[in-house]
Amino acid sequence: MEEEDQRKLTDLVVELVRRLLSQNPLNPQTPYSDPDLRSPHFQQSLSYAVRILSSRLTPSIAPDAAAIAESIKRRLATEGKSADALTFADLYAKFASKTGPGSVNNKWAVLYLLKIISEDRKSARNGLDSSVFLPNLALNGVEGENSSRVLRGRESREKGWSNGVLLVAKDPENLRDIAFKELVNVVKEENEVSEEVLVRDVLYACQGIDGKHVKFDSDVDGYVLSDSIKVPKATRIMVRKLCELGWLFRKVKGYISESMDQFPAEDVGTVGQAFCAALQDELSEYYKLLAVLEAQAMNPIPLVSENASSGNYLSLRRLSVWFAEPMVKMRLMAVLVDKCRVLRGGAMAGAIHLHAQHGDPLVHDFMRRLLRRVCSPLFEMVRSWVLEGELEDIFAEFFIVGQPVKAESLWREGYRLHAGMLPSFISQSLAQRILRTGKSINFLRVCCDDRGWADTATEAAAAAGTTTRRGGLGYGETDALESLVVEAAKRIDKHLLDVMYKRYRFKEHCLAIKRYLLLGQGDFVQYLMDVVGPELSEPANTISSFKLAGLLESAIRSSNAQYDDPDILDRLRVKMMPHGSGDRGWDVFSLEYDARVPLDTVFTESVMTRYLRIFNFLWKLRRVEHALIGAWKTMKPNCITSHSFNKLQHAVKLQLLSTLRRCQVLWDEMNHFVSNLQYYIMFEVLEVSWSDFSSEMEVAKDLDDLLAAHEKYLHSIVEKSLLGERSQNLYKSLFVLFDLILRFRSHADRLYEGIHELQARTVDSSLPSRDKNKSRKQTNDRSSEPGTWLSDGRKALTQRAGEFLRNMQQDLDAISKEYTSLLEGFLAQLPVQQHIDLKFLLFRLDFTEFYRQLHPTK
Amino acid sequence: MDEAAAQTAWESLDLLFHISNILDTGLDQHTLSVLIALCDLGLNPEALAAVVKELQRDPSLFPSTLTPPASTP
Repeated sequence: MEEEDQRKLTDLVVELVRRLLSQNPLNPQTPYSDPDLRSPHFQQSLSYAVRILSSRLTPSIAPDAAAIAESIKRRLATEGKSADALTFADLYAKFASKTGPGSVNNKWAVLYLLKIISEDRKSARNGLDSSVFLPNLALNGVEGENSSRVLRGRESREKGWSNGVLLVAKDPENLRDIAFKELVNVVKEENEVSEEVLVRDVLYACQGIDGKHVKFDSDVDGYVLSDSIKVPKATRIMVRKLCELGWLFRKVKGYISESMDQFPAEDVGTVGQAFCAALQDELSEYYKLLAVLEAQAMNPIPLVSENASSGNYLSLRRLSVWFAEPMVKMRLMAVLVDKCRVLRGGAMAGAIHLHAQHGDPLVHDFMRRLLRRVCSPLFEMVRSWVLEGELEDIFAEFFIVGQPVKAESLWREGYRLHAGMLPSFISQSLAQRILRTGKSINFLRVCCDDRGWADTATEAAAAAGTTTRRGGLGYGETDALESLVVEAAKRIDKHLLDVMYKRYRFKEHCLAIKRYLLLGQGDFVQYLMDVVGPELSEPANTISSFKLAGLLESAIRSSNAQYDDPDILDRLRVKMMPHGSGDRGWDVFSLEYDARVPLDTVFTESVMTRYLRIFNFLWKLRRVEHALIGAWKTMKPNCITSHSFNKLQHAVKLQLLSTLRRCQVLWDEMNHFVSNLQYYIMFEVLEVSWSDFSSEMEVAKDLDDLLAAHEKYLHSIVEKSLLGERSQNLYKSLFVLFDLILRFRSHADRLYEGIHELQARTVDSSLPSRDKNKSRKQTNDRSSEPGTWLSDGRKALTQRAGEFLRNMQQDLDAISKEYTSLLEGFLAQLPVQQHIDLKFLLFRLDFTEFYRQLHPTK
Repeated sequence: MDEAAAQTAWESLDLLFHISNILDTGLDQHTLSVLIALCDLGLNPEALAAVVKELQRDPSLFPSTLTPPASTP
């Protein structure tokens, strides 16, 4: 069988060669007739054919008849011969259905053969159009002569070959053939870059590597196809578009490597690092895609023949379809990289979050993944801050900054919000709550020395459904974060307030301050005033605070204050304010309350100064009241015995009476004013504010609320007792009034002393006693000679009395006038005040509208 | 060959001839049949196509020492 096959084979080959040669119109020997089998030409051809046949024993494509038929049909269709394509399909169907003996076994081979032959014919026909041969084509077309054509052809071919590569002597047919093929390739590459090469270059460019023709041009800042390559403009544009991906990739990769380099310099921060890591993950997805594409680019589909180069699977168009999605992602990444180049920490997270507000689900998912990674360090920081009060922030990325301060200002200034680092998905109120919770924990730990908060933290975490360990939360779970913070805040605040109230007895201390500094404990204040009063009349620099402290002690012990808590009494002290010369003790005396940690967060220095101011004012008021009461003691009617009146002359008696009356009336007025002012301050200001404050303390939820309530309390006291800045005028006129009242007191004292003296004189006029004379003070400068006095007798006495009384009357008149005018001025200012409501004060002072009636125009 | 086989063979040849005409290969029936037979024997179709192409080309490509140019048989 083998032998037979072999023989058949040889016969067939011979037959084939014969037929082909006979058909060949270019055969100079025997056109269209049987060739001579013995001719050397024939033999040559035969040997050549055999050589070709034996050199290629395996086909280069898969034996798939259907695929080949498909490609043939497609080719016919693209050439515009669609009718032929249909016919072919029909024929092929019939042909394929023929099976059994007598049919062709290797159908695919036959089809393939036909296909190649037809393609070769076509390319042979078109081969002469190639530009190298162009000058010869015209000549070829003109000449009809076979020989000259052949000659010309030979010349042209030789010319072509001299441009080309190889001229070998030994084995001309085959090697010439190969050389010719190579020439064609070189020429093609010089002129026209094949799409395959371009695709490969584009794939390189998309990884940031320069390809053979597509290189990165830093002037243009993009990947360009060098101009020396001749490609159609459409291809050029397409390449440019695809290389945008490469440009974006370069940008992203550049950022990542920059950040990685800077990391040791501590410039990047944890959020930045997370961002880079997330970008790198996305890029690895991208690399996967590129690897797949590159593998595809190497593999041609099974229908390629060596001459056709556009049959490559991966064309530029296909690439652009594959690149659509990565292009979107890469663009996003590049935009983010641009935005985040200068940002850090929470600001970076916030900027990225803004970009995530996008409707496209692809973008949305991508950003979500990215943000999860980027925000995890931030969320971690929040968690540890909220549950443990720890601030682990080496790179200053968190939106809470801490400063080292003393224990007493820890609450107010120790921590604050850094708005620049606050990401936009955490609202202001949430941030405030976070700040407060962490602050409370730190406060408890540092100032209150309390350890109970750790339990509350775990409780809070359990209630919110997360754990106190790391990694419980992520981006997109802002609600979870919020609920955790809320739970933690609730518990910690409650715990803090408990500690403040129970362990440090905040309420008690507030009350104590009210009783002592704001003169709430009446009996104590009275006694203190009695005891300390004479001391304070001395100049300030002669008073020793030690003595005063002793006096304070005695005052405490002799009033109800002694039953108070010793801890509170410990904190009460005397303070001498810094004074200049000429100050009296009254001006510099004050009490002080020592509030220690942690209460001094509430009772800071400035708060205590304000308390001091109020104390001063109240103390002055008390002093005036005290003075008036003292005056009243001397004014009691039975001090003046009636029998002295009988001794005096009628005129003097009248004078005396009127003076006394005047004095009394004035005293009444002043007393009315002072006591009403006192009551106003006591009840309408202090008590009301205190009850407001108490009720607010009940409902306070955290220390901030408490601080605010206390602030309000103090502020209302200050404003309503006319100590505020806008009540300066009132305050001044009030003080002038006080001074006037004190002057009155001294005048009244003098008056009554004088009267007593007169009394004693009239009594003693019958009892000459030197001792008594000497010990009395005189208001006139006359020498106190008992003799002259007594010797003057009643007349002199009357005269003296009259003079004295006249003087006194004048003084009292002056004081009275001044007082009235000042009081009116004061009262007139009261209704005009707009920032506080003084109608109650006015009501008390002018209950009967007496003053208003005096001056109806006002 | 029996009747059916002959018929099949003839029909196949006919179909292929039509196909070949559509594809404009320039082969006549006889040559085509030879080629089909050669393919059936298992030869590489690419090689056969190459042979066809070479032998259909201008024979003056062969070196002048072996082939007299232009003129005599």
